[in-house]
Amino acid sequence: MSLRNVGIVYRKELTDSLRDRRTLISMILVPLLLFPVLMVGLSYIAGEVIGEARRQPSRVMVLGGEDSPGVLAALRQAPKLSVLPGRPDYVDQISEKRIRAAVEIPPGFEAALEQGNQTAVKIYMYEGDLKSQVGIERLQKFFRDLSDRTVREHFAARHLPEGLLKPINIAQENVASPEKVWGALFGGMISYMVILLSMTGAMYPAMDLAAGEKERGTIETILCSPVSRTHLVLGKFLMVMTASLATVALSAISLGGSFYGLGRLAVMQADKGPSLQMAISLKSIAAVLTLVLPLAVFFSSALLAISLFAKSYREAQSYLTPLTFVVIIPAVVAMLPGTELNAKLALVPILNTALVSKEIMTGTYHWKYIAMIFASSCVYAAAALFIAVKLFQREEVLFRA
Amino acid sequence: MAEPLIAVRELTKHFRASRRREGLWGGIQDLFVRRYHTVRAVDCISFEVVRGDMVGYIGPNGAGKSTTIKMLTGILVPTSGEVVSNKYVPWRQRTAYVKTIGVVFGQRTQLWWDIAAIESFRLLRRIYDVSQRDFDERMELFNQVLGIGDYLYTPVRKLSLGERMRCDLAAALLHNPPLLFLDEPTIGLDVVAKDHIRKFLRAINERYQTTVLLTTHDLDDIEQLCRRIMIIDHGRLLYDGPLGLLKQKLLRTKMVKFALRDSEQAARVRALAPELARQSLELEPVDELTYRIRFDRTSVSTSALIQQILSAVEVRDLLIEDEPIEEIVKRIYAGEALREVTA
Repeated sequence: MSLRNVGIVYRKELTDSLRDRRTLISMILVPLLLFPVLMVGLSYIAGEVIGEARRQPSRVMVLGGEDSPGVLAALRQAPKLSVLPGRPDYVDQISEKRIRAAVEIPPGFEAALEQGNQTAVKIYMYEGDLKSQVGIERLQKFFRDLSDRTVREHFAARHLPEGLLKPINIAQENVASPEKVWGALFGGMISYMVILLSMTGAMYPAMDLAAGEKERGTIETILCSPVSRTHLVLGKFLMVMTASLATVALSAISLGGSFYGLGRLAVMQADKGPSLQMAISLKSIAAVLTLVLPLAVFFSSALLAISLFAKSYREAQSYLTPLTFVVIIPAVVAMLPGTELNAKLALVPILNTALVSKEIMTGTYHWKYIAMIFASSCVYAAAALFIAVKLFQREEVLFRA
Repeated sequence: MAEPLIAVRELTKHFRASRRREGLWGGIQDLFVRRYHTVRAVDCISFEVVRGDMVGYIGPNGAGKSTTIKMLTGILVPTSGEVVSNKYVPWRQRTAYVKTIGVVFGQRTQLWWDIAAIESFRLLRRIYDVSQRDFDERMELFNQVLGIGDYLYTPVRKLSLGERMRCDLAAALLHNPPLLFLDEPTIGLDVVAKDHIRKFLRAINERYQTTVLLTTHDLDDIEQLCRRIMIIDHGRLLYDGPLGLLKQKLLRTKMVKFALRDSEQAARVRALAPELARQSLELEPVDELTYRIRFDRTSVSTSALIQQILSAVEVRDLLIEDEPIEEIVKRIYAGEALREVTA
């Protein structure tokens, strides 16, 4: 009987929410579209811009170098460099982006190279401009090659072995599994997103189901129904939690899809360097989602309780919006490198889940902490739910004037 | 007298409300120390209602009507006093009790906003454990009397206020409760919709002996529905008795309205004004050829006044009206008339 009533309330709220376009957008559309649009879209645009910069030749200016005709000729023939004769207003030209960089060749440059004396070139650039960056990279490569060639010629002329040029070759090999590397890079961010979304997903329905009901004045009508107040609040809570978990699940799907899409994009643009392989086990995902479960209960009941206290939708909004920061801060702290899990931190709500999720993402399972965190989260969740239920019994909260 | 269906004894509800200080400095002070005062929303009221009665519960805004209804429906717990309604104490045995009552709040709906009304009816059927047969039968009746069949499948938010109110009434009566509470059921409705609702209430009252307690600002509701009225103000019950008695005792002012043949007659009436003023009667023009005189029926005889008018001017048409009940109630609210009634 009792569970039946909770079920009736839950079903009512769920049906209602599914007809409410605002809930659908916040619960389903936004989490599904947010990541693909954000990640694939942004990286696609970035890729296009970078690709464009790399395809075009860079316009650079040569200052001086009248007594180094060989170097000048080589520069003119260098790939993807369009060399312009020097002018005194080169700084303005760079600032106005008519040219991307300028290189100053000192007098006697070629002679110095031939005699084996050290010499220098100076490159002028516009920091932060992508095309200027590409331009100076091309100039640097040209002068590095010239430097290597010069050394090699001097060595050959003196019959010295080329090995002396670089007596020690340093090699490195990665022993961390792709899962660890990937987890260390993205685990923190993903657990952060999951935690944040489990809250934001609960926010809209929590406001609607408690403060919204008060504002519409329908709280009196539901209080007149033969469903006890405890059952009413439990049914509402279940709905809020459903929204929270649905948001998390849908964003997990969309996040996975986005990374997959990004990987494909990276493969397609093979010249962009090593592509990032997504390596994350289903086990880690399952573990993180399990740990988020009590957190979702906690958020759902806490948000519902606060929203219950508010007189109107707008009041609820002004209470809950700053609360987002309360969640963001521990999640960000957990993301900072160097924050390590310990017994004390394992009892701090939100932060503990964020920290352990990060570890789990890298494939490390501290079972002792996981158990502690799960248990403490459950306690917090139960306490929050208890408070929400108690608040719903209080006249001065329901009819706060 | 039959055993009362509702027995209310010394029902009292106090709220604690903060009293705001004025101005900017007051606002800052309020941030730190709030001053509270007690609002006596309902102050020691007692009454009884018998089965089949239709009782109008009226009073100005903030008089305590809604608070009383909320206590009688178990939403609020009173500060003190006793209520036995339908053999239950509403706030103690709430879930069992509300299965025996129907409640409609005029300004709010218990129907699902975004969904067709029929879905809400189905949900309520499950909540109130109404059998499918009873459900079908009652829906048929509601359709006949209220005509809700046409828009049962339209989302509630698209219904007009009148259509929604009919659906709300049907929803409140789905489990056929012997007792119905209505909080301003005709508020905001047009004349046709009001008429529909009143007819329906009379019908269920006759057919099922449903007891109705309704609050309203619309005195036509009272005149057309209620045999008995209770007037409340500042949380206190000012009058509890038959509507007729109230009218009989308080109906002091009458009006004579008369239309004249032509403008020549109108000029003669205007010339009569000083004479009327000497009898403390005021001549009010309604339009060019129509005039109205208000008089106190305890000091001026109606027939003498009419004779006086007819002997002075040629009248095309004449009408004698009672003071509208609103005026009586206004006087009761103002506190003037109370002694006369209780005397």
